[in-house]
Amino acid sequence: MRGLTKISHRIRSLFRRDAVDAELDEELKIHLEFEIQQKIAAGMLPGAARRAAMIEFGGLESVREECKDMRRVNWISDFVRDVAFGARMLRKNAGFTAIALLTLALGIGANAAIFTLVRGVLLRPLVNRDESRLIYIRQTAKGLGMDNQLFSVPEIEDIRASVKSVKEFGDFSTLGFTMVGLGEPRVVQSGVVDGNYFEVMGLRPVLGRLLDMRDDGPKAEGAVVLTYRFWTTVLKSDPTVLGRTVRLESFGPPQFASIVGVLEPSVPYPADTELIANVVTSPHHLSATMVTGRVHRMTELFGRLAPGATLEQARAELTAVYANMVKDHQESYSKKADSHIEARLLRDEITSRARTVLLVLLAASGLIFIIACSNVANLILARTVRREGELSVRSALGATSGALRRTLLAENLLLCGAGALLGVITARPMVAILARYASRFSVRALDLKVDSTMLWVGAGLAVVAAVLLAFIPRLPAGHASQGNSLTSGSVRITGGTKRRLRVFAVIQIAASFVLLAGASMLVKTLVSLQSIQTGMDMRRILTLDMPTTTYGKTKEQVVATYREILRRIQALPGVQRVAIGSLTPWRDAGAFGPGLQFTADGYVRAAGEEDPRAGFRTVSPGFFASLGVPILEGRDFDESDRSTSEPVVIISQTLAQRMFQGRDPLNRHITWTDPVLKFIPGIKIDPIRIVGIAADLDDEHIIPNPAVTIYMPFEQLTFGGRLFVHANTDPYSLVAPITRIVHEMSAEQPVEHAATLADVRAEVLSPERLNTFVFGGFALVALAIAVVGVAGVLAFSVSARTREFGIRLAIGAQPRQLLTRVIVEGALMGGAGIVVGGAGGLALARLAGSYFQDMQMPGAIVVVVSAIVLLAATVIASALPAARAARVDVIQALRAE
Amino acid sequence: MSKPTDLVQGTLDLLILKIILLEPAHGWAIAQRIRQISKDVLQVNQGALYPALHRLEQQGWIAAEWGESENNRRAKYYSLTRDGRKYMQKEQANWVRLSTAIGLVLDTE
Repeated sequence: MRGLTKISHRIRSLFRRDAVDAELDEELKIHLEFEIQQKIAAGMLPGAARRAAMIEFGGLESVREECKDMRRVNWISDFVRDVAFGARMLRKNAGFTAIALLTLALGIGANAAIFTLVRGVLLRPLVNRDESRLIYIRQTAKGLGMDNQLFSVPEIEDIRASVKSVKEFGDFSTLGFTMVGLGEPRVVQSGVVDGNYFEVMGLRPVLGRLLDMRDDGPKAEGAVVLTYRFWTTVLKSDPTVLGRTVRLESFGPPQFASIVGVLEPSVPYPADTELIANVVTSPHHLSATMVTGRVHRMTELFGRLAPGATLEQARAELTAVYANMVKDHQESYSKKADSHIEARLLRDEITSRARTVLLVLLAASGLIFIIACSNVANLILARTVRREGELSVRSALGATSGALRRTLLAENLLLCGAGALLGVITARPMVAILARYASRFSVRALDLKVDSTMLWVGAGLAVVAAVLLAFIPRLPAGHASQGNSLTSGSVRITGGTKRRLRVFAVIQIAASFVLLAGASMLVKTLVSLQSIQTGMDMRRILTLDMPTTTYGKTKEQVVATYREILRRIQALPGVQRVAIGSLTPWRDAGAFGPGLQFTADGYVRAAGEEDPRAGFRTVSPGFFASLGVPILEGRDFDESDRSTSEPVVIISQTLAQRMFQGRDPLNRHITWTDPVLKFIPGIKIDPIRIVGIAADLDDEHIIPNPAVTIYMPFEQLTFGGRLFVHANTDPYSLVAPITRIVHEMSAEQPVEHAATLADVRAEVLSPERLNTFVFGGFALVALAIAVVGVAGVLAFSVSARTREFGIRLAIGAQPRQLLTRVIVEGALMGGAGIVVGGAGGLALARLAGSYFQDMQMPGAIVVVVSAIVLLAATVIASALPAARAARVDVIQALRAE
Repeated sequence: MSKPTDLVQGTLDLLILKIILLEPAHGWAIAQRIRQISKDVLQVNQGALYPALHRLEQQGWIAAEWGESENNRRAKYYSLTRDGRKYMQKEQANWVRLSTAIGLVLDTE
């Protein structure tokens, strides 16, 4: 009841302010009249009575104010008034407001955008049912440089049979199918799964059904499920697609499968697949190679924790089971491979690649926020000092220091609120750009939604900034110099303020230095990657994906078709040389794993060593000529190396050196010894004669490593998949005629992804380039803000010291000396910032180094260059104020105060 | 003329409440009565009286209403609310206890 009365009083006081004020006035007036009447009644003359009453009453105004204070509403209306006043002040200082707003918008916008990204990619739960029970299991062989070796079917069966803390396992093999029957024939990235997979993943269909146990095993009908993205984008959400039949070809004869359903939108992992099929669609999955080959690893393993089991329990059990497995099959787990099993939550697995990048981004945007706040703090500090006169007057008129703070806070809130608003507006497009960038690290970034979190983050940052900024300026109240400021009413800069200004400028420079050094490191890496000489005529070499298709043809017909395709392309004007290969350099890196084990005539491996591994490539005659790789000894493959003739190989230079050590490798033999091969029927494991030695061609790494490669003739294996064309003209002008030729010969032959090698490299480097762009952008913004900050501090310091400069000039200082003085002052701040930034950056890198394994530290040159850039920027920033100092008019300066 | 600070903090509130417990009164009358009853010892300054009245009203101990005064003038009359009555009784008990205690201390030889 009492609370209600209070509130109603307060509301009345607030909204019927005038009426309440009038009542108060009347009440006090009546009191005065009573007093006067009493005095007249006591015998005083009316005039004297009135005067006496007035004197006795005291300050009418202060009583009135005190009564109002008692109503406790003043702070609301005062705040409204403060805000209005703040708005007026901000409007009056348009330049200051614009710079501060822009800086804040940038700082708050970048942080809001990146936070949205981090939340969407790292923190949002997956759509999968009980996603916190879903784990991903991997096998590593660090000794072979493999973080994820995948699993073989026998391994999965062992794990499935013994591990109890994981209720169910589902497996998934990534495979490229040449798909015919749904639009243009093309290669679709696909997954081949067992009947458990979707149950384990806890996903639902949006149309039709998903694959289950009835689709498992070799007897089932071919069935595929489309992913949501594929269905909505390529098929335009066509519901009649259910029941359609497609022909799928991978390793082995083509298979037919019908479309049974469409998967709900979910994070595609491990690969961004377009369809998911049951095992019968891939004959390879049913072959002995796959089913009995313990080292034939191409399957990923997912699991759902048993009720009550924890991830740690599952990990421990998996490790124990795995140790037994390794003991029982020692031949499949060499010492050198250093095999281990690991398990983690699927969500963590999916986001692991993006985590580092996003956290670094978050740190960078945090730096930007610090820089932005320091800069605005500087601006506000400088302005408050200029306003010292005004603040002194208000303090003298009775404003408490709380009231002054409140005024400043209101102004800052207004400023930061507007900055946040602007920031959130700019954050939306920033999120779109950043999401495209982050999608290279995590597919989750693709379906990022901008939600209210961003507003909250923006508002939160604004409040933090405003409160920080309100407590920065020194208030005049209670200071000895108060009388002084009151009388002079001009700027009087004190040591404390100056120090604070400098500290903020130094903080800005330090933070910018960290960003600049980081960005420079990325630029340097990118430049060095881009300028690597490959020896290939990369702008003239066109590569196209042309997977080998065998449907309805004998091996001889297949060979004849490709031979004719090559002949016709060779006849096109502008084609210098055409050939078939098996990997697009860089783009297909890692597609064939770590290579196959082999040995060579006369090679004796050291005790305890395994046979070496070599990259396995099939090429048609002319491959080396097309790419400009010289044949150092012997000959290239030619028309005579047919499927019916003697099997031959060409080896790379490094292989020749390592395996033959000075002896002539020509006409000696290599022999494949890899255990995987014994399961592949028909592969030659007899010694194969070496007919040539080619220069190293590392098609896996941008920075070329020594290449240990064995080339076999395309016609002897009929396995290729990539077309290489060395052109005399614009290579892209050849894409249409080549595609036409291929389709004339075989209408169902996919020809896709045409690109010159130069563009392939650019495409492979694009994450690096994007990294560089984003961090470079951050660094530039930071640099710009820091330069404005330094210039602002010096400009302020110069204008506050006009009198000092005037005196200096009057007693004979040269303008040049003043100029140098100010520039030195700027350079000193720059230097201090660089030192602080260097130390802070080092500490930060240490800290980060303990979280991330592959931390790169910028080299000395990068650091020095960044320091020079920053120092130069501060000197330039101080030039303008310095010039002003040098132009000070002596007479005016002396008269100024 | 005694300043508000000469009064023990909170006593002015109690005096006001006590005066209007008898009958509703306007500000000037309250000040007059305190003076008369205390035989001119306690003189309440307007600068203290009105803020106190407004505070008490804000807190809900007293209620204000405009009415006619004895000499036909409009004036703002303050009266005690039910909550205010309880509050006053509590405060008065407090005061009695406190003044007795102080008296005991001062009376010791």
